[in-house]
Amino acid sequence: MNFSERFAIINSGLAILGRFSRSQPRFFLIMIGGAWGVLYEMLHPSAWRRTVLIEFRRNLRQLVGSGFFSVVVVAFITGLGLVSQAVYWLGFAGMSQMTGSLLSSVLLREIAPILVGVILLGRSGMLMLTEMGNLTTGGRLKTLSGMGIDPFLAFVVPRTIATTVSGITLGTLFSVIALAMGYVACWMKGIVTVSIWSFIFEVINSMQLVDYVGIPLKFLLSGASVGLCCCLSGMDVTSEDNLTTFLPRGFSRGIMSILVINVLVDIVLGSF
Amino acid sequence: MPEKTTLSESGYGFVLKLDDAIPVSDSTGLPPVRYNLSIEPGECVFVECRDDVRAAQFTDFCAGLLPVKKEEEANGKQGSVSCMGLNWAELDERRAQALRGRIGRITGDSGWIDLYEMHLNILWPSLHHSRTPYDKLVAEAVHLSQLFGLPGLPTQLPEKLSPLDRKRSEYVRAFMNRPSLLLLENPVSLGAPVELYNAFFTELTVARERGCAVLWIGSERSAWAGYARPGMQRFRLGGNGLIK
Repeated sequence: MNFSERFAIINSGLAILGRFSRSQPRFFLIMIGGAWGVLYEMLHPSAWRRTVLIEFRRNLRQLVGSGFFSVVVVAFITGLGLVSQAVYWLGFAGMSQMTGSLLSSVLLREIAPILVGVILLGRSGMLMLTEMGNLTTGGRLKTLSGMGIDPFLAFVVPRTIATTVSGITLGTLFSVIALAMGYVACWMKGIVTVSIWSFIFEVINSMQLVDYVGIPLKFLLSGASVGLCCCLSGMDVTSEDNLTTFLPRGFSRGIMSILVINVLVDIVLGSF
Repeated sequence: MPEKTTLSESGYGFVLKLDDAIPVSDSTGLPPVRYNLSIEPGECVFVECRDDVRAAQFTDFCAGLLPVKKEEEANGKQGSVSCMGLNWAELDERRAQALRGRIGRITGDSGWIDLYEMHLNILWPSLHHSRTPYDKLVAEAVHLSQLFGLPGLPTQLPEKLSPLDRKRSEYVRAFMNRPSLLLLENPVSLGAPVELYNAFFTELTVARERGCAVLWIGSERSAWAGYARPGMQRFRLGGNGLIK
C-alpha cells in the first residue's frame, strides 16, 4: 500500500468521524438557536400579529383541553399509588415526619415535571410534529414564506409559548390532584389522622426556597422544550422522511429534551 | 427625522425590476443567466413557460426568495431584483417579508394550510400583514368570493371544497388587501367555466387600473389570448432565460 492509498483511507476515516461528530450536536444547536429565536420574537410587540394570536389560542385550547383528562387520571393514579404508599411506609417505619419532605422532593420536584412533559409530548407534541412535518414535506411552509409569512413566527413561536403556558397549568393541576388523592386514600384507610390542611402545610413547610423557583421552572421549561423540539423536528424533515422515520425520531428527541431540562434545572439550582 | 413607512406608487418607477440579475440556482431549475424585466404600475406582462418548476422558481426569484448571484461570482456587473423600488438584497428579513405582503400570488400548488378552514386560509396573509379590522377584511373577502362565483366566504376545510371552489378561493386570496404586484402562475386552466374567467379578467383590470402590476406566467399562450392587447410585453422563459 503506497502513501496516497494510506492517505485516502485515513481521509475517509476522518470524514466519517467528522460527519458523525457534527451530526450529533446538530439538533441540539438548532434547539438553542430556536429557543433564542422564540425568546427574541416574543419580546417584540410587532411579533404578536393576529395570525400568531390565532395560532397561540388554537394550540393552547388543544394542549390544555386534550391534556386535562390525561393529567387528572395520571395524577389520580400517582396520588393513590405513590403518595399513599409513601405515607403508609414512612408511618410504618416510624418516619412519618419525613412525609412532607419526601413528597416535595420526589413527587413535586422530580416526578410531576417529567410526567406532565410526557403527557404533553404524547397528547399534543406528536400531533404538532406530524402537522409540522406534513406542512414541510408538502411545501406549505415555502408557500407561506412566499406570502411574506415567516413559518417560525407563525407556527414555532405561538406553539412553543402555548406548550410553556400549558406546562405550568397542567403541572400545577397535577401536583394539587396527586397530593389531594394521596391524602384521601390514606385518610380512608385511616393511615393519616391529621387534616388535609395540616398535610399540605407539612408538604409546603418541607419545601425550600429553591423549590419555589425550581418546580415552576421545570414545568415551564419542560413544556417549552416539548413544543420547540416537536416543531423544529417537524421542520427538520426531508423529502426522504415519512411518518415511520420522523415520528420515532421526534419522540426520542422530545423525551430526551424533557429529561435534560429537568437534570439541568437540578444542577443549576443545586438540588441535584 | 421620522422613518418613512409607506410607499406611494409615484415614489418608484417600476413595481418590479430585474436588472441583469442572475439567480443562484442549480441546473434543474431556473437557468443561471442574466434576467432583465421591468413592470410599471398597472402594466401586465406575460411569460410563457412550459416547465412548472422553472415557472415557480422564476416567481420566487421575482419575490426575492431566490438570491441574486454576487458580483464576484457573476463576473461583471452586480445584478439586482427590485420590488416597488426596493432591492430585495438590501432589505433585512422583516422588511422583505413586509414587502412580500404587498404581493398577491397564485402558485402552482396553491399552498392551502389544511389545519385551517378556507376562510382563515384566505384571510391569513391579510391578517398577518395589515391592521385592517377583521370585519372589514371579511367584508372584502365576501365581496370578492361572490364576484368569483362563491355563495360567500367558504368556511370548510380546503380538502372538503371542490377543485373549482379552491380555484375561486385562490383568486380571492390573491386579490385580497389591494396588492401592488400580482405574481400569477398558471392562473387560468382551460376547461373551467367562462364566467369564472370573465370575473378574473374583470378583477385583474380593476387591480391594474388601481396601479397594480401583473406578471402572468403560464404554460399555454392561449390562456391569455382573450386578455392580451397589443403593446403588452410578452416573454418566453426557456433554457436561455427570458426571451422577448
